[in-house]
Formats: sequence, C-alpha cells, structure tokens
Amino acid sequence: MAEYLQPETIAEAAGMIAEHGGELAIMAGGTRAMQFLVPYMPYIMGLRRLGLERVEKSDGEWSLGAAATLTQIQKEVPIAALRDAARQIGAVAIQNVATIGGNLFSHAPYGDAATVLLALDARVSIADGGGERSLSLGDFYADGVDSGALVTGIQFAEPKGEAVYLKCGRKRFNATTVITVAVHVEMDGGNVRAARIALGGASPHPMRCTAAEQALGGGALDAAVIEKAAAAASAASAPASDATASEWYRRRMVGVYVQKALSQLA
Amino acid sequence: MTVKAVQFNVNGRDEAVMARPIETLLSVLRDGLGLTSVKSGCAQGGCGACSVLVDGELRLACITPAEDVAGSEILTLEGLNETNSMAAIQESFVANYAAQCGFCTPGMLVAVTALMESNPKPSRDEIMEALSGNICRCTSYLPIVDAVESAAGELSGQGDD
Ligand SMILES: Cc1cc2nc3c(=O)[nH]c(=O)nc-3n(C[C@H](O)[C@H](O)[C@H](O)COP(=O)(O)OP(=O)(O)OC[C@H]3O[C@@H](n4cnc5c(N)ncnc54)[C@H](O)[C@@H]3O)c2cc1C
Ligand code: FES
Ligand code: FES
Repeated sequence: MAEYLQPETIAEAAGMIAEHGGELAIMAGGTRAMQFLVPYMPYIMGLRRLGLERVEKSDGEWSLGAAATLTQIQKEVPIAALRDAARQIGAVAIQNVATIGGNLFSHAPYGDAATVLLALDARVSIADGGGERSLSLGDFYADGVDSGALVTGIQFAEPKGEAVYLKCGRKRFNATTVITVAVHVEMDGGNVRAARIALGGASPHPMRCTAAEQALGGGALDAAVIEKAAAAASAASAPASDATASEWYRRRMVGVYVQKALSQLA
Repeated sequence: MTVKAVQFNVNGRDEAVMARPIETLLSVLRDGLGLTSVKSGCAQGGCGACSVLVDGELRLACITPAEDVAGSEILTLEGLNETNSMAAIQESFVANYAAQCGFCTPGMLVAVTALMESNPKPSRDEIMEALSGNICRCTSYLPIVDAVESAAGELSGQGDD
C-alpha cells in the first residue's frame, strides 16, 4: 500500500519528486491512477492541496490549471471543441474528478482533450527540481511525457479561426475512443491561412499531423483538398489494435473523421 | 503503514472512520459502515455500481480515496431512501420492470438523483447521457430510461418534497 503525500506548495511537490524519483507517481483525479498506479507505487503524490484548479482568461490567453476537472472545463471554457471533448470522456462521475492535466498522460487511444489542445497549439507548464518551465504540447510529447515532472498548467491563445472536434466511438455516450480528430483552421477570404490538425488514438500519444496540414495548402478548402488531407492523415497514423478497434479500422476512421471535420469548416 | 482517522458526514450522521492510506471510499462505506447499497462492480471507475453523492456531486466511491473527501457530506442510497422523490423513482422502476437482478439499481438511483437535481425534467437523450456511466447487464436499459422519464414527469408535475 502506497504512502499518500499531499504537498501544499509547488516547491514542496518538486522536492518530493526529486527525493523519491521513480518510486513516486502523481495522482490528480485518480481515474487512471487509482487503478494503474496506486497498487504498484510506494509513493503517490496527490495534487488536491496545490490549488491548481483555476481556469482563467486574460488578454486573449487561456490558462487552465492542471487540476481543473473536465466538468469545470465544460462550464468555464466556452470553446466548443474543447467542451465537446470533455463531455465525451467517460460519463459525468468521471468528468467530475478527471483533470485536464491527467488527460495529457492517458495512453492511446485516450487523450481526447489533449488532442484538442494540440490543435489549439497549447503550451504546458512544468515544475521540477530546476524550477518552472514552459514548452509546447507538441514538444512535451516529443520529449517523452513520462519524465515524472509535475505539469502545473496549460495555456493557449483564444482560437483565431474555427475549431472542430470529432470522436469516433462505438456508441453515442461514454464511448471508448476509437480515434479522435481536432482541427483548427483560419481562413483568409476563401483561402486557408493556417491549419492545425491533431489526431488521438492514431499513435501512442496524441499527435499533430503536419502532412495533412501541408496537404491543405493555402488555397480554397474544397472537396479535393480535403480528400488529400484526409488521405495524408490516414497514411501518417500508426494506431494500435485493441479490444475496441483494429489498427486497420482506426487508420480508416482517421481519414473519414478528418474529412468530416474539415467539411464542417468548408 | 499509518492508519488515519477520517471524518465526514454520511447520510446526515457525523462519522469518524479509520482509513488506510488511499483506502477507497467504497471500502470505508461498504465494509466499514455497512452501507451495502454501495456496490463493487468493476472497482475501476467503469460501471457506476459504487455511485454516491459527495457534496451533491456524483462520484465513484471505488476510485475516490476516503481521505480526499474528509469534511464532506456524503449521501448513499440508504440516505436518499428517506425522501419522497426517491420513493417515486423506485416505484417507477418497479412499474417499468427497470430492475432484474438489482445489482446496478442503487448506483442508477444515485445517478438519477444527481441528474434530477440539475435537470428536473430531462429528455430521453439527457437521461441516457446521465446514466451512460452506469452499466446494467440485465435490463437492456430501455426500461430504465422509461422509468426515469415517467418518474421525472410525475415529480415535476407535483413539485418538490
Ligand atoms: C470509465 C473510464 C472512461 C474513460 N474514458 C476516456 C475517454 O473516453 N477519453 C479519454 O481521453 N480518457 C478516458 N479515460 C481516462 C481518464 O479518465 C482521462 O484521461 C482523465 O482525463 C485522466 O485524468 P485524471 O486526473 O483522472 O488522471 P490520473 O488518473 O490522476 O492520472 C493519470 C496519469 O497522469 C499523470 N498525471 C496526472 N496529473 C498530472 C500532472 N499534473 N502532472 C504530471 N503528471 C500527471 C499521473 O501520474 C498518471 O500517470 C477514461 C477513464 C475511465 C475510468
Ligand atoms: S465499482 Fe466503481 S465504477 Fe464500477
Ligand atoms: S438489473 Fe441486473 S445489472 Fe442491472
């Protein structure tokens, strides 16, 4: 049975991480950690006394505390794509405790909200022995997320364009993720000025799909261009097979859902 | 291993229980306090059989460390049984054949309570969404949705208890 550590300051938390290293696991809402970490780790560090629940917007910049719950996100962040993702992660009782920070660490096919955050070009704040630093969510995944550092918050600019989130699952409510797609497109007249396309469940962690973004080019968002982007996304994904869906099916659905998401913006 | 005293209010009574580190609220309520409406179905957040209300919010006792809810007001079905509205929902479950083995029923009733608190007259879609975390392996769900729909209709017609 693990020892339950409850730091009250970020400095104290960083000290505990430094002291216990690989013997310590962080627990936020516990929706994964209670099952997968608590039985196996000597030290569990809870985040409840750190005050990391705040959701704020100032000067067009959103700042989400890592321990903000998915229920809170639905109430406090009026960005439909992020709200849609939060609302489809488990059911109400899960959303009442599951955190946005914890979602960044959930293994594929999970990480539904993180997929939206990638499309919003979010940054992540991290605290470790060396103090606090910030990096893009893309780099966070590229650097390897299992470093044991504490994520304190997530920041992103109010979207300039339109964002769409779609989840492919096998039922309407509380569906296990087959794959997820989040797109953010900024138009300039009839032309694509900038696009970000993110995929969940298509690789071990949520990923930005630059091949699909480039396939969109800078012209009109028409059916032919959308088709190309969808094919590029499908080709770039390397999903896993599990009890929910096969690798083949997931790859197909990536293309189908990228096409659906972009068509909503065309 | 340090066992800790945890205090909270359960179904209107102040309780102090001894809990091991990260011992679940499920274990404390069911095994410690004998509140057997709180069931262990999956013990991993996936079935809703352990649903309880913590300060009015729907929670899964199997993935809630007891000490995290120290100082809170906890309601299990045993406590909700005291209300007239619960009696009406239960009668509707019986009339609509919404329970067979009954294992999921306490969790369903707690989740229905949380739903009706914020949305007294939910649509069928809203009922299905609100109960989507509660697994029933007997009834095929439709009788449960029927039961909640008709209870909500009846209760919102007659006002609160
Ligand atoms: C029934 C059920 C259904 C689910 N459905 C979905 C789904 O559809 N889509 C989906 O994406 N997920 C799903 N999940 C997974 C999970 O609930 C969510 O991903 C949730 O957001 C995790 O957040 P948490 O706060 O509960 O994380 P925890 O369980 O507390 O932690 C999860 C991981 O993140 C790490 N961690 C958490 N917070 C931090 C932090 N601040 N800094 C560093 N590390 C941290 C932990 O060490 C752990 O490894 C489901 C889970 C259950 C039980
Ligand atoms: S026993 Fe808690 S959700 Fe299944
Ligand atoms: S009535 Fe048997 S599980 Fe629901």
